[in-house]
Amino acid sequence: MEKHPLTFGLPRMHKEPGERRDFLPALVAEVAKLGVEVFVERGIGSGMGLSDADYTAMSPRVHVVDAQEAYRQDVVLVLRCPEPEELTLLKRGATLISMIHFPTRPKRIKRLLELGLEAVSLDSIADDDGKRLVENMRAVAWNGVEAGFAALAKNFPEFDDEARGPIRVTVMGAGLVGKHAVEAATKYGDRERATALDGKGLAGVEVTVLGRNLTGRWQYMRERFLHTDLLVDATQRSDPSRPLILNEWLGWLPQHAVVCDLVVDPYVLDGNPPTVRSLEGIPRGNLDQYAFWPEDPKWSDTVPTSIDSRNRRTAVTCYSWPGVHPMDCMALYGRQLSPMLETLFRKGGAKDLQPDGDFFERALCRASVSRWRDEGAPVEVDEGEPG
Amino acid sequence: MVRTVGLPRMHKEAGERRDFLPDFVAFLDRIGAERVVVEDGYGAGMGFTADDYLKASDKVRVGSYEECLAQDLVALVRCPSDDAIRKLRPGAVLLSMLHYPTRPNRVALLRERGVRGVSLDGLTDERGARMVENLEAVGWNGVRAAFQELSHHIRHFDQPGRRPTRVVVMGSGYVGGHACRAATRCGDPVLREALARKGVPGVAVTVVDYDVTGHENAMLDLLEHTDLLVDATARPDPSQYVIPNAWVGALPEHAVMLDLSVDPYDFTTTPPEVKGIEGMPEGNLDQFVFQPDDPVYREMDARIVRTHRRTALSCYSWPGVDPRACMEVYGRQIEPITRVLFEVPLDSLDPEHGRHFERATARAEVNRWKSTH
Repeated sequence: MEKHPLTFGLPRMHKEPGERRDFLPALVAEVAKLGVEVFVERGIGSGMGLSDADYTAMSPRVHVVDAQEAYRQDVVLVLRCPEPEELTLLKRGATLISMIHFPTRPKRIKRLLELGLEAVSLDSIADDDGKRLVENMRAVAWNGVEAGFAALAKNFPEFDDEARGPIRVTVMGAGLVGKHAVEAATKYGDRERATALDGKGLAGVEVTVLGRNLTGRWQYMRERFLHTDLLVDATQRSDPSRPLILNEWLGWLPQHAVVCDLVVDPYVLDGNPPTVRSLEGIPRGNLDQYAFWPEDPKWSDTVPTSIDSRNRRTAVTCYSWPGVHPMDCMALYGRQLSPMLETLFRKGGAKDLQPDGDFFERALCRASVSRWRDEGAPVEVDEGEPG
Repeated sequence: MVRTVGLPRMHKEAGERRDFLPDFVAFLDRIGAERVVVEDGYGAGMGFTADDYLKASDKVRVGSYEECLAQDLVALVRCPSDDAIRKLRPGAVLLSMLHYPTRPNRVALLRERGVRGVSLDGLTDERGARMVENLEAVGWNGVRAAFQELSHHIRHFDQPGRRPTRVVVMGSGYVGGHACRAATRCGDPVLREALARKGVPGVAVTVVDYDVTGHENAMLDLLEHTDLLVDATARPDPSQYVIPNAWVGALPEHAVMLDLSVDPYDFTTTPPEVKGIEGMPEGNLDQFVFQPDDPVYREMDARIVRTHRRTALSCYSWPGVDPRACMEVYGRQIEPITRVLFEVPLDSLDPEHGRHFERATARAEVNRWKSTH
């Protein structure tokens, strides 16, 4: 392919120290192969043990630059949306590809349009049936459930006991995340652990999934919680101003039980309406700390004092579960993005994407900010952005 | 390069009603088809008439089965018979579920006749995920049918005073996942909402994998309280039952068993291959519900123990139960593949540097598949 006029920038994410994700050399190589000059920020991949040389070794078209330079390219890809001040580093007319969350971020959309940027939101790229093409719900579930079982193994003395019965997991919510959580739970969140325990002849995991027609029935839930070792919240509440599980209910769980939070809604008590966490009184973790034992002094850091948190069980909770295993996460995102970037560069950028183009062109076009603006799509409340 | 398309019907079972929809024909016109021949009666099983197809494109004409087979590209979901394959002309493309790994004779026949098979079940992305599949329909259609039966078998099914419905799903893969989600919604969101409005408790779905199904005591404890037992397993050894017939006796009398894995009984192999639940009949689109006194049990191979019986559901092709919805999905999934076949000669497909769907099509083409397996 002849040299392409567009350039490609890959700045890093600096939001929290535990955020180690960057796009991998394999994706950089795919794009460079199209004839595109690629500019990666110095230190890219270092959180995953990669060096600048791992990137430049992919192609002579790969260049190591500072963050400002990486942001100054024609097409800029960053997984989590850049901060407002970082957006100003992009040049007018450039294309930003990121988790922008159009439905819940009206101010961000306005800013992008003011800056004259075209943007493609990764979380809006979907096929003709509305199924997301760039997502890692599987990692949300698997990484969370893996952390849950790791905590349970510490809390539950019978965990490795050959005489025990099946471990009992209760998953609340049967959507996409819940579906993955069920599969993960049947494998202890870790196939190697599952194989090892099965090899010892231990009974496996019995996973019971509950929809909203049961989660509101306290008598049923009490019976279930009394025999639950791991409680997984994968719900999508219609009313985030009310907790799904009162703190008092958490007290029904055995002392050794672990609560796994895959929802990660924040507490926003001054919102209108306010938002509270689905499981009342549990903290909200991030990539720097995602396991909290009941006596952890940091428990109260993210739980407002007005929220009842007297009943505590070990909680695993993380704002960005996919980031727990950054290499796996970015390998998947890279594979998902590869054909889309190919389409984007072949089309000369986001501006010429056609709604009746081929499969990926249609998907990209639907996910562009200009399309979002033109369709006058409804704007919902501002909230968090699990990435 | 492909220019003309034949869309023959599938004649294997009377209950097979699936054909591509008029929307797909309109798509073929848009990407440059010069002629689309649909078999007489095409779409009739889903209530479509010839006019529906003729209105979709002026390139359409209605013809015989043989005329359909004479086009550049012949597309149908289930693979046609060997006789039909022999009627395709050399160089023609057959786009169908060809199942290369388990059908070596078919692969040989395609190659011998110079027919360029592109296997729908062999179309995968670089991670190996199938691009043309409807496992969601397997889970939902089966569970929906099972709940229809349960509504007749559970006393006070629509009364608020009863306990939650208990479902056990064996297997947590793709099909099991869809079945689990479907079961929490009674297989039908409308039914679920109707029950919820009446205050009827919902469904508790318990999912177990091989490391629980292999523990007899744990399974018997579960089965005693199970209203619906779903087999969504993918066994590494199909000669072994997951649920021996004796365990079926532990289920309540009103319980329903649902077979989503649809493995066949095959006593011609050594060792014989069997279904996951011993005594489960083999169903198809003509009959997929079997009451305990169904005559089918008398005709089963004597080596299959079927002493304990419950209402059983089994179908070789669960997606075909809702043919229109199924073909909407398949139609959309194969559009980009069909576009490749119109744009790139098969011999020029580049499995390394071609575009996403071009690479997938190359991998699913019979000669290239054979050269790598």
